[in-house]
Amino acid sequence: MFDVAVVSQILWTSFATSSYFVLFAVAFALVLKVNKVFNFAQAGVMTCGFYAAYVAVRLLEWSGFAGLLAGIAGALLMSFILEHFGFAVLRQRKASPMFVFIFTLIVSQFISYAIMLVFGTWPTTIFASMFWPVTLVGGIAVSAWDVPAVAATLAVLIALWVFLRFTRYGQFMLAVADNADLAELYGIQKNKVLMISMLMAGVIVAIGMFLYGSRAQVQAAAATELMLFAVASTILGGIGNIWGAAVAAIILGIVQNSSILFIPSAWQGFLLYAFLFFAIVLFPRGFRLPERANKLKRTIRAPDALVTKQEG
Amino acid sequence: MDYLYSILILIGLFIILASSFDLVIGHCGLISIAHPIFYAIGAYVSAMLAKHNIMPIPLAMLSGGVVAFVASALVAVPALRVSGDYLLIASIGFQLGLIELAKHIHEIGGAGGLTNIPSFLIRDYGRESYVVLVLVLAVLTVLFIKWLTQGPYGRMMAAMRDDELAFSMLGRNAIWVKVSVFGIGSGIAGIAGGLYAHYFRFLEPDQFGLLQSSAVLTMVVVGGLRTAWGPVIGALVLQLMPQMITFFNLPPSVLGPLQGLIFTGLVLVFMFKRPQGLLAAPVIWTGKTPEKRGA
Repeated sequence: MFDVAVVSQILWTSFATSSYFVLFAVAFALVLKVNKVFNFAQAGVMTCGFYAAYVAVRLLEWSGFAGLLAGIAGALLMSFILEHFGFAVLRQRKASPMFVFIFTLIVSQFISYAIMLVFGTWPTTIFASMFWPVTLVGGIAVSAWDVPAVAATLAVLIALWVFLRFTRYGQFMLAVADNADLAELYGIQKNKVLMISMLMAGVIVAIGMFLYGSRAQVQAAAATELMLFAVASTILGGIGNIWGAAVAAIILGIVQNSSILFIPSAWQGFLLYAFLFFAIVLFPRGFRLPERANKLKRTIRAPDALVTKQEG
Repeated sequence: MDYLYSILILIGLFIILASSFDLVIGHCGLISIAHPIFYAIGAYVSAMLAKHNIMPIPLAMLSGGVVAFVASALVAVPALRVSGDYLLIASIGFQLGLIELAKHIHEIGGAGGLTNIPSFLIRDYGRESYVVLVLVLAVLTVLFIKWLTQGPYGRMMAAMRDDELAFSMLGRNAIWVKVSVFGIGSGIAGIAGGLYAHYFRFLEPDQFGLLQSSAVLTMVVVGGLRTAWGPVIGALVLQLMPQMITFFNLPPSVLGPLQGLIFTGLVLVFMFKRPQGLLAAPVIWTGKTPEKRGA
């Protein structure tokens, strides 16, 4: 069972399948960082993205690329509705965080029931077949899905980094994330920035759901579970740290998938909730890397140490 | 007649559930939607204790409440140590995780459900006696919560909910108040779970999922948060409404999602159009409703 080839195969497959987990986690972390909302309605956006792609590819028989665009359009539309008719109104009314939480949860459930009513409760996939051709690379089976999925995730992450680092609106987003009121005083249109953040998260989850739906069966309530994985990753990665959430998602994805080596597959689903619970109990503020702490120690000298040096 | 009795019992149980949930979410301002899992814990504990003749059924029901109380504290203490927001996430993880766990434990029936749970009172005194028991307990729960929230403990909860920092600055322990309220609400839900188990005599993990959470939340929001009778009205309206839908003879694949859609849709409508619910909560210091105050 612990044959090197088997372990390598499981590790590779786990890494490849963690690609969509990374996208869900990054989208969740982005909205939490900028909009300051634990957006459980992301599950609803994910569901809309998937079913828009499903309708395009399976029912209208469009191409896969057109299906991806349809998925993005569906998620964008839902994100716009959520922000414009939901969050913006609640912000204007100065709704309490509890009220906003309940809103996001109820919206995601509402969308899930609406989709169940229209499409039924049977699981489905974007493409008729979930099986992808396999190529052997150094004894490891790499499917035709794996490489594009990892590449797409990398491309999204790089694009997001470039956007946040080098574009005007990316900087505005970071400013709003840091201090929304102060950013507004400097002339940044807060509502516009919050809308952009929601729309960007919508695009990211739509790509994630397209990847997920082309490899696994999805039913209307599935997004809730996927989103909880994103929540666990965001907490473990450290709230406010988008890239930390991405790394945590990869680690959790690998741990969950490779757990098949140690526990029966029926218990794999349970691991997610164990992660979530223990993330909150043991690492509520996320992982803190010791190297970073040392670096800070070196750059910021303690005041009492400075005084001693001056006296000496 | 049995159908009518079942509806009355469900109304009574949901009054208990919604009122105890209002104590947690409304009066104390704790963000959690995992109330049904404590209902489930009470139901399973009571059913298992009675089924294996470990103790008499009334004691088993009370034990279910105690276990739910302890379980809620186990969730609340670590989550509230960080912030109130984490309670929501921890409790959802706890709810869905425990449901997943229950599906894999064959000793409690697994995903197929727990059957042959011993009944209580019905054999000796008829179903009417159980209806009376549940409705009396429902009324007692409402009165207990009203007494609790209008007394010194209630004022303490209100002060903490309205300004936690000021409350802590006065030397009060906000975490202790939160954990105790969460425990009391969950303990009451656990006892309701025992009542459910010994009447319907069948428990299935999926019964206690997010649909149930939505239903209880809807009852509280539609009825009116922080009111004694709001959850009662919410439970009555939202238990009777799905019964009307059942007369349309819809297939279960349509009926379930339709009920969910109505529950969640109503919450959304009320959140935006009448956030105070059907009954507006009185202002704690004056005892007047906001409408009266404005007049």
